[in-house]
This record gives sequence, structure tokens and C-alpha cells, in this order.
Amino acid sequence: MDKQHEDLKVIREMMEKSTMFLSLSGMSGVISGIAAIIGASFAYFYLLKNPGNTGLNSTQEIGILLADALIVLAVSIGAAFYFSKRKAKKNNQKIVKKVALKTLYHLGLPLVAGGIFSLIFLMRGEIGMVASSTLIFYGLALINVSKFTYPEIHYLGITEIVLGLLAALFLYNGIFFWTIGFGLCHIFYGLIMFFKYERLR
Amino acid sequence: MKNIIANLNKAFESRIRLGIMSALAVNDALDFNALKELLEVTDGNLASHLKALESFGYVQSTKQFIGRKPNTSYSITQSGSDDFKHHLNALGELLS
Repeated sequence: MDKQHEDLKVIREMMEKSTMFLSLSGMSGVISGIAAIIGASFAYFYLLKNPGNTGLNSTQEIGILLADALIVLAVSIGAAFYFSKRKAKKNNQKIVKKVALKTLYHLGLPLVAGGIFSLIFLMRGEIGMVASSTLIFYGLALINVSKFTYPEIHYLGITEIVLGLLAALFLYNGIFFWTIGFGLCHIFYGLIMFFKYERLR
Repeated sequence: MKNIIANLNKAFESRIRLGIMSALAVNDALDFNALKELLEVTDGNLASHLKALESFGYVQSTKQFIGRKPNTSYSITQSGSDDFKHHLNALGELLS
């Protein structure tokens, strides 16, 4: 009977291993969240001192905001790569190239579309819409990739979309919803995933 | 009891073949290197198991060139899918 148990285990593990990216670490969410909060705080206190202001006044300000966002993005991506690699190594697993690429593709496609879309608004100085569109497209990207990874990602995606819609509704407070979505939610879901999948009880 | 054991397919007795069939059951197609990465076996070992599964008609291969490099991709056949499902059911029954 042991062999049959072993066999079923082999089968299930191989099916998972060949289709799902399970090296995603909750820690990368926490780091992304912290980076987003720092980035948003900088943007708020440096550029958007007046909460009623949804327009940026100069290309220099737009450039600074863009650089701010890109740094947060770079830190998030870096953290994701670093912690995923670390988690795989810790569990003695290898990151399967085909699965990793498929995951990146399904995540990346809506993200790139959203990025370009948001950039257009940013270039026009309409940062109110930037918060909303980045949140919504990010949520859609997460939902799209969730079938290849942990179910928590699906719920994070829905949360981001809801926050994005709220940001569109309350146009003058976009930065706050942005901070909640990319900051607090990442930390929250990151911790949930970390304690669920990595901290062995 | 004897009936159920008889339903287990001898072609899938090897753990590597079980792994190949499992991976191909949930992916449209996988190339040789992807299978090698997933199963963590040597080229020769993988090749011989794939050949065996092909001879049973459970797996089919398509050879193509990516640039200059030859690339063989493998997929499960209808009979491979059916027989593997029967095997899974038989395994499940033995344990219930």
C-alpha cells in the first residue's frame, strides 16, 4: 500500500511542479509594501503638498514622480526575484524555467498594458487617474496570474481592483488608495502568505 | 483485490514514467529539456523512458528546429491520457 501512496504523491507533485510557480515568497510582498509606502510618502510630501491638486505643474515634477515610481517598482521586482530564489533553495526545489516564464508572461501582459496606459495620464499631468489605473491593471494582472500560483494572489487582485475603482471615484485622494493598495495590502497579504506557507508551525 | 491490482498499468510502473505522464497530462506539450529539468534525470535515462512510452502509443513527439538547434517536444496521446486516467482511478481505488 505504501507504494501506491508514494505513486499518487509523485503524480500530484509533478502535476503541480510542471504548472505552478510556488516559489513566490510572502516576504517579497512585505518588502514591496514598505517600498511603496516610502515612495508614496515622498511623492505626497515633496510633490503633492496640496491634496486638492491633481495636476502636476512641470515636466520636472512629472519626471521626479516617474523616477520615484520606477524605483519602487525596481525594488519590488528585485525583492520578488531574491526571495523567490531563496525560498526555492530553502525548500530544495528548483525554479522550473518554463513555469517561471509562463508566470511572468501572464503577469506581465496586463502590467505592461496598464503601465503604458498610466504613463499616458502621467505625461498629461493627470495623476488622479494614474493611481486608479495602476491599481486596476495591477489587480487584473494578479488575477490573471493567480491560476499559476497561490490562491491568495487572486484575492489580492480583487482588493487592488476595488481600491482602484475607489481611487477613480475619489479622484483627489488617489495617493491614499495607492498607498493602501501597493503598500498596506502587500504587507498584509505578504505576511499571511509568509506565515501560511513558509513559517512551519 | 486481485481485480484492482490488475487494473494498474505495467507501463507506468517506473516512477520516472509516472512523472512523465503526470507532467504531460497537465501541459499541452513539453520539450526534452523541460522534462529533464522537472524529473531531474540524465539524458539517456529520460530518452529511454520516453521511447518506451512512445512504443506504447502513450506519448508522441514532434521534432523541429529552433534556429539551428534541434528541439523535440512531447505530448500525451489520447490513448495515453485514457490509460493514465484508468491507472489513476485504479490507484485511488486501492487506497480507498
